[in-house]
Amino acid sequence: MLSKKMRALGVLLSIAISAGTFAGCSAGKGNSSDAKSNTGETTATSETTESSDQTPATNTDEKVKLTVWYAVSGDSGEKFKAMVEEYDANTENVEIELSYSGKYADTATKVSAALASGTAPDVALMAAGPLYTGGRGDFFIEEKVNSDSDFNKDDVFPGVWEYAKYNGKICAVPYGISTQVLYYNKKILEKAGIDVNNPPKTWDELYEMAKLAQEKGNINNSSDFWGFEVSDVPWLFKSMLNQNENPIIEVDGETVTPVFNDEKSVEVANWWKKMVDEKIMPIGQHDNAENKFLAGNVAFIVASSNRIQRWAGETTVELGAFPMPYFKKQSLALGGNVLVVFGDEGTKKERAWELVKYLSSAEKQTGFALETGYLPIRKSGVEMDIAKKMIEENPMFKIAFEQLDYSWSYWHFDQMGTMDSIISDTVEAIEKNISTPADALNDAVEYLKNEIEG
Amino acid sequence: MSSRCSLTSKRFKRAETKAALVLLTPTIIAMLFLFIIPVTQVVIMSFTNWNLATGVKEYVGLKNFQYLFKDKNFSKAIINTFTYSAVKLAADVVLSLFIAVLLDKPLPFRRGFRIIYFAPVVVPVVASSLIWIWFYDPGIGPFNQVLTAIGLKPLKWLYHESTALISIIIFSIWKGLGYNTVLFLSGLQGIPESCIEAAHIDGANDMQTFFRIKLPLLSPVINFVVMMGIINSFKVFTEINVMTPDGGPLKSTLLLVVYIYEQAFTNGRMGRGAAAALVLFVIVFVLTIIQRKVSKKTVNYDYD
Amino acid sequence: MKKLAKKYDFLAFIILALGSVIMIFPFVWMVLSAFKTSADVYAYPPKWIPSSFEFTNFAEVFKKIPFVRFYVNTIFTSVVQTVLQMLLSITAAYVLTKLNFPGKNKIFMLIQSSMFVPFVVTMIPLFIMVSKVKLVDTYAGIILPQIFSAFTTMLLMSFFASIPNDLIYSAQIDGCGYYRILTSVVIPNAKTGISTATLFTFLTHWRSYTWPLLVTNNINLRTLPIGLKYLVQETSSEYQVMMAASLMAIIPVLIIYTLCEKQFVKSITLTGLKG
Repeated sequence: MLSKKMRALGVLLSIAISAGTFAGCSAGKGNSSDAKSNTGETTATSETTESSDQTPATNTDEKVKLTVWYAVSGDSGEKFKAMVEEYDANTENVEIELSYSGKYADTATKVSAALASGTAPDVALMAAGPLYTGGRGDFFIEEKVNSDSDFNKDDVFPGVWEYAKYNGKICAVPYGISTQVLYYNKKILEKAGIDVNNPPKTWDELYEMAKLAQEKGNINNSSDFWGFEVSDVPWLFKSMLNQNENPIIEVDGETVTPVFNDEKSVEVANWWKKMVDEKIMPIGQHDNAENKFLAGNVAFIVASSNRIQRWAGETTVELGAFPMPYFKKQSLALGGNVLVVFGDEGTKKERAWELVKYLSSAEKQTGFALETGYLPIRKSGVEMDIAKKMIEENPMFKIAFEQLDYSWSYWHFDQMGTMDSIISDTVEAIEKNISTPADALNDAVEYLKNEIEG
Repeated sequence: MSSRCSLTSKRFKRAETKAALVLLTPTIIAMLFLFIIPVTQVVIMSFTNWNLATGVKEYVGLKNFQYLFKDKNFSKAIINTFTYSAVKLAADVVLSLFIAVLLDKPLPFRRGFRIIYFAPVVVPVVASSLIWIWFYDPGIGPFNQVLTAIGLKPLKWLYHESTALISIIIFSIWKGLGYNTVLFLSGLQGIPESCIEAAHIDGANDMQTFFRIKLPLLSPVINFVVMMGIINSFKVFTEINVMTPDGGPLKSTLLLVVYIYEQAFTNGRMGRGAAAALVLFVIVFVLTIIQRKVSKKTVNYDYD
Repeated sequence: MKKLAKKYDFLAFIILALGSVIMIFPFVWMVLSAFKTSADVYAYPPKWIPSSFEFTNFAEVFKKIPFVRFYVNTIFTSVVQTVLQMLLSITAAYVLTKLNFPGKNKIFMLIQSSMFVPFVVTMIPLFIMVSKVKLVDTYAGIILPQIFSAFTTMLLMSFFASIPNDLIYSAQIDGCGYYRILTSVVIPNAKTGISTATLFTFLTHWRSYTWPLLVTNNINLRTLPIGLKYLVQETSSEYQVMMAASLMAIIPVLIIYTLCEKQFVKSITLTGLKG
């Protein structure tokens, strides 16, 4: 009954079952049979090579079902949904099952789980997409953007393409992207006597301005008043590193080496430290930065470009924006989501590509971006009438669009999430005087090197 | 237990075991699929370098465990979790018991009070976390407004390493008070009136009745609350992740499950997350054994 | 004696009242927020009292998400899960407290140790398993993996353990079999414990977010917590709508609580004694 023998047998049985189901999920790196839709049976064909050499046969009449997941909610979600549904209604040979898969983190979990169980969606709008395609050796999208002239690859800003690469190859289409923007509170600058027609060019100039605003611009007479804040620390820090000619990582073949501990990086860190030491920027409260700014207690804030849309007409703060200052050269890191395509080559994947092409056309992507607070990925997008109209209504958009010219990204790599965490911790250590900038950066690079080696 | 029916023939024992088996089967089957199999897979996972994003999965022996023992963040997570657990447990048990005793009295508006004290349990975590983040706002949140109004210095609450963990603990206590209060109330209902009457007749006042009669009779429930408190406090995750993302200021709110989530999902290293989960398992297992030994001496199941 | 009792009672009342303020003010904030406009939310410092008490936010909820569908799904899945889980837990708790058999302690420790593993770790293997048996995007897929709860089982165990064994012996002498003892002795005597456990089980399933999100893609199967999270702060206009939605989502649980709460008053009314 419940004798020792039976229980042992039960345990052995479950280990066998577990090992079996577990092993059946995926094996090794760069094997795109990972993304194969699995019918639940192990077939002998799991060993055969994929048909990437032949042109996949596509039957233009066959109706194909596509599953599409998206990781944006609110207005962005509604707009994306509307676009996909419109495509579905107007396209005979596909039937689309659209599904909101949670915010970025939840979507990542769902996609991971789906890939592990062989039930991945055909198309997904998610963050860090290249890790899930390029990281698994799937560079279908690069093939497509290179061969399909309808897509017009060169129309997309070069810096923006960098955001969709793994190992130097394109494996996603950037879609809902943003850079950071330097916003300011008009009233505060007015009170401090700062001329808004003379934007700061370098970070040193901004330092002077923020200091002045700090001393003279306290419009609320608040005890919690500051000259400068930033709501996403790693994002800005990375931009700054690249501005000061540090590329953050160096890639050699498939090996990634972090390099953000040279003197140029230390310069950036020293500037940062100066800001908190002279009490222009508060320590360790960056999660709360935007609230403070909206309360009128911060003169300058670096926040995502999507705040232009989000804050418009909502807050009592009179907003302005300056082009982002720089160290040695202008450069801004990109953030946001991308479109990826999963699955094996074949009719489904071809149809999925058609959908992606439609969504990332100049008209559709620009419309989506502008209505929801993202940026156009295409140079032609910035020239379109709706773009010009937005600039008329809100001049801050002009700055956001112009910044696209010097937008940049390092390629996606497996430990990039870890890198952001470690940068966050490093900056915190510097702000709170726990390590010197040089030590903190060295520690960070060491840590990341170990992580990369695994 | 030994003073059973005089009919202790083998027939009875077998019938009893058979009945036990029948009634236990659904649970055992459920456990097999929902616990044993997944956990076995987790154990296997902990010996691999499974990366959720890229799908890489190779056997790496004890590497994950070696990493854990070297990682300062992991030891910090353990310490933070013990701190959280100890403070929360102590406050929880004392407060909920106190409130439950008060709510047991036939006071006016008692029904209303009971609903009020249970309300925080019912509010969706999504909503209550956002609300408390606003309440804890160092600049304009109500808590600091109250502090400055009574002349004290405002605190940084969630934004400073010295106050972040306690802020989370306060929120957790607020959120969970209703649960434990209800448990203690149910326990108090289970105390036969006869015992209390007898005590009153013997001349005991309320306090004595409480400590000599009620408390010992409540010991099974207290034991349960403590045991569940330990286990649950080691598993706490959602509210911490919402209120202090990234482990909080200087990792002061990095607790074990937060660490596991970060390794497994943020860093994509499922193997490491699995290994950390196993360590967590062992820690909680040991704690419950200790707790069980202590409870054997203090818990009283007899009713006279 | 009566005078003293009155004084303690008065003190108790004051303490409870003060405590209530602390317990309830976030709730009050939530209720008030549900009526606010976008401007109220963005005003700094945010206003406590909304500028007007209209129900627009509540209407917005139904426009932004399929609220009714979510509600129905959540009620359905919570009820079924609660029923199934109670069945499993009651039987298991009975066996573990009132019956003797070989391997009992091991089973108990096995059940208890199932609580030591946080869900975030087991959810991926669980999902893979559910996916392989094609239960993704089904009600069964949502419900079945949540029918076992060591917590509920152990909670019931501590209530069942308090049932005097004498009652069981006398039932046995009367000729009751083990099953009958469960239904006619144990369950009737553990009504408080069972209703407490039912309440907690229902509440846990009502709030369940991660698993339903993981296992469903079809919006028609999704539950309230997923809908609420969808409304979280992409723009300010969703903040107050989310509060309104949360308010509406609480109602069933409060109802169940009020029903179960009657059990807590049971023994006092039976004996008619005060204090």
